[in-house]
Amino acid sequence: MDETALINEAQRGDLDAFNTLVLHYQDTLFNTARRILGDDELAADATQEAFISAFRSLRTFRGGSFKAWLMRTVTNAAYDELRRRKRRPTTALEPDGEDPEAIDEPRWLADPTLSPEETTEAHELEHAMEHCLEGLPFEYRAVVVMADVEGLDYAEVAAAVRVPLGTVKSRLARARLRLRDCLQGFEELLPAMFRLHHEPTS
Amino acid sequence: MTLMNFRDAEHLSAHLDGQLGPSETAQLESRLAVDAGLSQVLDDLRIAKGLLGRVPRRKAPRNFTLNPLDARVRAPQPRAVPVLRFAGALASLLFLVTVAVNGVAPLAARSLAAAPPPGYGVGGGMGGGEDQVEAPQESLAIAPAGTPMLAAPAAPQELSAPTAEAFAKGVAPVEASAPDARQAGRAPIPALWVLVLAIAAILLGGLSWYLDRLTGRNFRSNPLEK
Repeated sequence: MDETALINEAQRGDLDAFNTLVLHYQDTLFNTARRILGDDELAADATQEAFISAFRSLRTFRGGSFKAWLMRTVTNAAYDELRRRKRRPTTALEPDGEDPEAIDEPRWLADPTLSPEETTEAHELEHAMEHCLEGLPFEYRAVVVMADVEGLDYAEVAAAVRVPLGTVKSRLARARLRLRDCLQGFEELLPAMFRLHHEPTS
Repeated sequence: MTLMNFRDAEHLSAHLDGQLGPSETAQLESRLAVDAGLSQVLDDLRIAKGLLGRVPRRKAPRNFTLNPLDARVRAPQPRAVPVLRFAGALASLLFLVTVAVNGVAPLAARSLAAAPPPGYGVGGGMGGGEDQVEAPQESLAIAPAGTPMLAAPAAPQELSAPTAEAFAKGVAPVEASAPDARQAGRAPIPALWVLVLAIAAILLGGLSWYLDRLTGRNFRSNPLEK
């Protein structure tokens, strides 16, 4: 995929070119939104809003990391969703005629490559991480999700959240420290290899 | 073991990501070698970072590709379009104003010119004050009976006087206002300007419409959704 060519085409109004970029980045943006919002429905809405907003403001993209630029749009969309949710809290609806458990583990999310044990392990880990991430302030959450979940480097994160590199460094450290403290409460739930150890090392 | 402050934690976090310079790295590593507490925090941070990286990624529940009709997305316009559109609208407005001015002004001038003179000497309706009203009466009173009306030839000289005074002296300014009326009958804005504005409005409007349409043609519907 020639990303630069696709961006240029999309900037000239070619929706096909833009949709090729959408298909390439939609999982990344959805996962980022999901980690920030902790809710699949809201994350899907934020992702859609982010792509619409990205297409409308594509002319303002002046090069650099397109992924970071998209991350900024999805972070803004997620922030808007959070504010909307705070203004109008909603109650989740149960699925019609389905097992209520399906809310927590819908079938379409099942990864066929994982064994049942690994699926359980991943599920527990995910719940613990979701809980701890939700406890972080929005600005820390956005930074840690971009850096540690999506693997953006410091410069890309700084570009995405429009803060200096030093601020990214500081926010990331604070977020990791808070996560460490939070995860200590879930130690028994976490797989052995992920348990935080506190015995003094010699 | 030293007491860890936030600066240390920030350094440890940056060290995990390889974001420290060579001297800072060497300094931190020498401290880590002797400080078990610092090493433990580094390990905890590494595990927290590792856990975040291990969180299973999910596939997007659906495709987020855009459809112009569903999303009501307009094709990005070339920058010139709004400028051209504004200029075209401005030219159209100016054209309408000039046409209106050219149409109304001569009519107004003609109606002023064709208006019947006020009732001179009938009560001094146009008189500015008592002196002016009474002046003709005085001249008439002074004139002896049988004296020819010598005042009449003086009328053209009075034309240069203010109109109200001329009216007051009973002189109708008909011959003087005729050239003014012809002058006023002309359009105040030259026809060339009106023509230029009309052409500018048409060209600018047409160009913005063409560019808009050209962009829209490139803005095809998304075949991936079909």
